[in-house]
Amino acid sequence: MRLLTPILVASNGHEVIVPPPGLESGVLLRDLDLMALIAAAGTASTTLAVDLDSVEGLNADAAAARFLAVELGVDVVITRRPAVASRVAALGRTALLHVFAFDSTGLARSLEGHPREPGIGTVLSPGPVLDHLPPAEVERLPRPLVAYGFVETAEQAWSLLRCVDSVVVRPGCALDMARDGTPGWYALDKGGRGD
Amino acid sequence: MIRSDPKVRAFHARLLATPCCAALVDHDRLAAALASPVGIVFVLRADGLELRPLVTSVHAAGKLVAVHLDLIDGVRPDRAGVRWLGHAGADAVISSHGQLMPAIRHEGMVAIHRLLLVRRGLLDAALAATSRSGADIVEVLPGVILPEVRALMPSLDVPLLAGGFIRNEAQARAALGAGAVGVTTSAENLWAVDLR
Repeated sequence: MRLLTPILVASNGHEVIVPPPGLESGVLLRDLDLMALIAAAGTASTTLAVDLDSVEGLNADAAAARFLAVELGVDVVITRRPAVASRVAALGRTALLHVFAFDSTGLARSLEGHPREPGIGTVLSPGPVLDHLPPAEVERLPRPLVAYGFVETAEQAWSLLRCVDSVVVRPGCALDMARDGTPGWYALDKGGRGD
Repeated sequence: MIRSDPKVRAFHARLLATPCCAALVDHDRLAAALASPVGIVFVLRADGLELRPLVTSVHAAGKLVAVHLDLIDGVRPDRAGVRWLGHAGADAVISSHGQLMPAIRHEGMVAIHRLLLVRRGLLDAALAATSRSGADIVEVLPGVILPEVRALMPSLDVPLLAGGFIRNEAQARAALGAGAVGVTTSAENLWAVDLR
């Protein structure tokens, strides 16, 4: 199984994704249908993540979890459903429970359902909220932690990588991150990962 | 464009006068909200079937009250639920259900539609839904990132509120600077701040 990478480039499976040169990156497939997902998954050569709830034609249940993990070899599955996350983790893949941070109360309620089991991390949307939370609040989020949604610029993405394990970005943003180069703090903090 | 209905005009005028609104997440903070200078109290958590005493006390303090139809206990977010809130004396109703906006207006209340910012790929659909709903006001959540996403949004023809994770004065002012006419916050320390 391939590991969660610090950068996940979002794709609907229809565009050619150019990996950001010099950076560890994978692909997040989202907003596509089941047939397109199967086609795209077959060509993946890096870490492959799927936003299960955004795949048309695929139910968010245990059967879908098995299909993604076993049949398609998906490394990381994002889902809003705790039971599905548990199933994915039981199959030896990384599960990320999708929690929504619209306000403090909603985030707390969303986290109440987190299984907090080994192999189940957290995807938080929208990602830039994490830049506004106190470190202690971020630390309480089950790891690995991924920022997903509205990460629009390389500057935002690098900033978020100070407190998360991975960011979901659009292809253009990923290339901007590569062009800007890895910040010095990142190379030090992450032991050179991404160099 | 602000609807010519006197209640909507009054609500908007109150927002301009006191842009910071108290978001009430538990009854224990009601006294603090009533004692504060806020002009509008947003009730996010309460027993929706026992709202009238709460609404009466907010009105007695000279403030307006907006009730979150989707979050309060005991009331279903449907047309009958909207009628119930009108009967309880709410001045405004907040909901993520765009189809309820006409019913809220029909009951003589200000209709506030929540626009949830999840990710850019879903933004157009969310904006279209708010546009279709005919809301009087749109509340953007999480409001704390409004300054970062405002450039991605077209100008809306209704006033914007910003709510969610606004915990300090800088965040509140940034949201107002990004085009919000008001902020809703449960941070009591902000309720006394004059953000005009």
